Amino acid sequence: MALIDKVVKRALTCVMAMAALASFAAHAEDVHVLNWKGYGTDEPWALKEFEARTGYHVVNDFFNSEQEMLTKLRTNPGAYDVVMVNSAFNQQAREQNLLQPIDVNGMPNVADLEPKMRHSHLLEIGGQNYGIPWVWGVTSFAVNDTKIHPVPDTIQALWDPAYKGHVGMRDDAIEAVQFAALATGQNINDIKNLDSVKSKLKALTGQLKTFWSSENDWNQYVASGVFYISTYWSGSAARARNKFNLPVTFVIPKEGAIGWLDSLSIPKGAHNVNGAKAFINYMIDPGFYTQWDSRVGAPVSANTKAVAALPAAAFNRAVLANPAVQSRIQFQEPITDDKRRAYLQLWQEIKAQAD
Amino acid sequence: MKFALSSPPGRPLVRAMTLAGPAYAWLLLAVFLPLSVMLFYSFMSDVPTSGGNWSLTFQNYLTFFDEPLYRKLMVRSLGLSAQVTLICTVLGFPCAYMLAKVIRGRSREALFLLIILPFWSNGLVRIFSWNMVLRSGGVVDWVLNHLWPWPVDTDLMFSYPAIVVGLVHSYLPYAVLTAYLSLQAIDDSLIEAARSMGAGRLTILRRLILPLAMPGMLAGAVLTFVPVVGAFMEPRLLGGRKGTFIGTVIEDQFVAVFNWPLGAALSFTLLALVLAILFIGMRLSRRNDK
Amino acid sequence: MKQHNTAGPLELDSPTISTAPHTPSRRPWSVGAALGAIGYGYVVVVIGFLYLPILVMALMSANASPLYELPFHFTIHWYQALADDGVLKAAAFRSIEIALWTTLLSTILGVMASLAFFRYDFAGKRFLQAMLFPPMAIPWLITGTAMLIFFFAIGIGRGLHAILLGHVALALPYVIIVVGARLRTFSPELELAARSLGASGWQITWRVTLPAIAPGVVAGALFAFAVSFDQFVVSYFLSDPGETTLPVEIYSAIRKGFTPEINAISTIIIVVSMGTMLIVSRLYRFGGEQ
Repeated sequence: MALIDKVVKRALTCVMAMAALASFAAHAEDVHVLNWKGYGTDEPWALKEFEARTGYHVVNDFFNSEQEMLTKLRTNPGAYDVVMVNSAFNQQAREQNLLQPIDVNGMPNVADLEPKMRHSHLLEIGGQNYGIPWVWGVTSFAVNDTKIHPVPDTIQALWDPAYKGHVGMRDDAIEAVQFAALATGQNINDIKNLDSVKSKLKALTGQLKTFWSSENDWNQYVASGVFYISTYWSGSAARARNKFNLPVTFVIPKEGAIGWLDSLSIPKGAHNVNGAKAFINYMIDPGFYTQWDSRVGAPVSANTKAVAALPAAAFNRAVLANPAVQSRIQFQEPITDDKRRAYLQLWQEIKAQAD
Repeated sequence: MKFALSSPPGRPLVRAMTLAGPAYAWLLLAVFLPLSVMLFYSFMSDVPTSGGNWSLTFQNYLTFFDEPLYRKLMVRSLGLSAQVTLICTVLGFPCAYMLAKVIRGRSREALFLLIILPFWSNGLVRIFSWNMVLRSGGVVDWVLNHLWPWPVDTDLMFSYPAIVVGLVHSYLPYAVLTAYLSLQAIDDSLIEAARSMGAGRLTILRRLILPLAMPGMLAGAVLTFVPVVGAFMEPRLLGGRKGTFIGTVIEDQFVAVFNWPLGAALSFTLLALVLAILFIGMRLSRRNDK
Repeated sequence: MKQHNTAGPLELDSPTISTAPHTPSRRPWSVGAALGAIGYGYVVVVIGFLYLPILVMALMSANASPLYELPFHFTIHWYQALADDGVLKAAAFRSIEIALWTTLLSTILGVMASLAFFRYDFAGKRFLQAMLFPPMAIPWLITGTAMLIFFFAIGIGRGLHAILLGHVALALPYVIIVVGARLRTFSPELELAARSLGASGWQITWRVTLPAIAPGVVAGALFAFAVSFDQFVVSYFLSDPGETTLPVEIYSAIRKGFTPEINAISTIIIVVSMGTMLIVSRLYRFGGEQ
């Protein structure tokens, strides 16, 4: 019985291995893209358009956290051609030898990128590009304007006892610490007074009802009245309003907000570099971007021409492109592993004490 | 518990290995070897990546003793698991008894199937459905408001009880089915004999049925206690801000930071504690057998 | 108190001796009948508890709101969307296929290992039994990551074969523990008696032991199926993009946009499983009685 069982097992493995090999051989002209699910690179209409234009077929894979993205790159070298890396993580990916420099010849849309982002010290090292800025946005908070009016203009609204039990935030140590830094008037990338951050966070956990971890969570909690006010991302708030018809207003308070820049990179060992370049060029194309923003809702494109092509009333153009607003945004810088662990432990301790 | 070998004397080890060999070979390849890699990682300061330098250290394990956070969460998780296991065992036993001894014929099979069926629903979807039941405006709230004259707002979501409810719901079928397995094997003639000798219901339960059902109940308890200690899904989704347990903290070491050594060390510490508890439990029950 | 029943070999095969099931005594309200009624009621309550979130899940699959908002508006929109959703359907079939293979392999290997533990005492037995717990105790996240790294390092990589490898390993402890619990209620004297009558090892297993522990084997198989079918963490790590299983699809969808399509497919699966099990139960009585 043991022998039969062994033979069956072996046969099964052989058959499956051959199937895997066969499927790999059949698609040598594919572009393998790694990103968050539902974040622009897997829109069916866009992939169809891209394939029609260039002939490349896109295969998507997804991750649920930056750490997972790094793990996937580490354990599958050569499996991906394009990867979306938050620019604050670009340094870490680079130092772990996971990315290759990009030769921007043959990528016409790169010339239209916002110069500050194009030459950002996070992405351009020694004259070489390790990431093409793609979209940027802001993490701040949004309120249900039927429950809270007038709409507040200060970040301290999250700590307002009137909203106790109806506050939401994401369970992310870095974001939590940086919010508390904003609330205590500090630079999010250079926090000097960690104790004030701690006490601010302790107070905040007392206000919370629960954490949200995806757009879907957030929308459901607002719709069912669990959240009156919660941290959120700018692009997602626009989507909540336009696509899901939720009565939300996104606020960039006077204390400021956390800015992030997402960029597209090419992993080391990618098989299809030409396909990768074509795809990245398409992703920063105004034609793609305007459709993405109007159909689904998107963060702000790093391509100035793309933003200018949006309708004047569009959130991304009207609000975030406003220089007065932009001056209040603090963009995230890379964080060392040690600091990251320290923040995580701080956050876990505070959460563990929640009563 | 030694009993007579039902095979020709000589080489029990060889025979046992032939039978158990394939299973353990599979486990070796798929679980033990990979976990050994993790065990090795737990003694490193950093996971070796191209260009990183690492060294062997006990620090990850010592962290458990240095930082009160992890001890506290470990105790909390063990406590949660003990509660859930106890509730499942207590709730499951009468149900199993009814199935095994009282209900007969077709309805027994139908009920048996009904109890197994929830296993086939997706765990995540189930938890989200509990959200709909427990939250303010959900099923429980609605029912209570219709039964109770005064308006009531019950919101059980994002609380410790919600976590317990979700876990008990997921693991109750284990308790029922394993108890059923042992109860069903009890020959009815034994019960008849005891009754005819004048034993009362309570005595029969205490001295005949419970001891005979013990293997099943213990199996169910183990199948519940062990996984629940490291649970992270129910605590996160049902506990909200109260949902910090050792399982979620271990998950963070892999998802929020790149600290696999610490995550691995915490996992193996967890494993050691669980094994220790099972070992002590086994010793105690052995003593009761005598 | 001995832990296995001492009935002789013949009685196990014949219909249960207590041909007088609890006949109520002359008085209509005997304690026995009252307890019986309470017992039935209790079973109904437990089943109600087990099915509450499932009914809510099914209800919401026919509700129009994509955000699970009440009031309830009936629609079959989500089922229609599901019919067009090739990815979700493919994932569902893949999950079922993997679960069936897992059940087959883990039940066979697990029963063999269980028999080994039951029949023989040998050096290292306790250790091997203890080694069943790491796969259950250590959070799946750790095991999944470890498998990913190890399989990649030795060239197995990821894909359906890797998922199968992982699922069987995760299901094995359940099968072994459950079948082991049932074996503990089985009398080894039966095997001895059969051997003394000249039966070979294979005959003993096939014709004496297995029929007696059949409910345990079936329960183990059902648990193995459930473990595999609902497993998402390990599957998540080991699956190829584009060839995922249903729980992984659901888990990923939850991140992006959890529409009631998920409820629709979960409801369909429950209904189909119910139907399948009813058919199977007509053909095979796994209550253990003849």
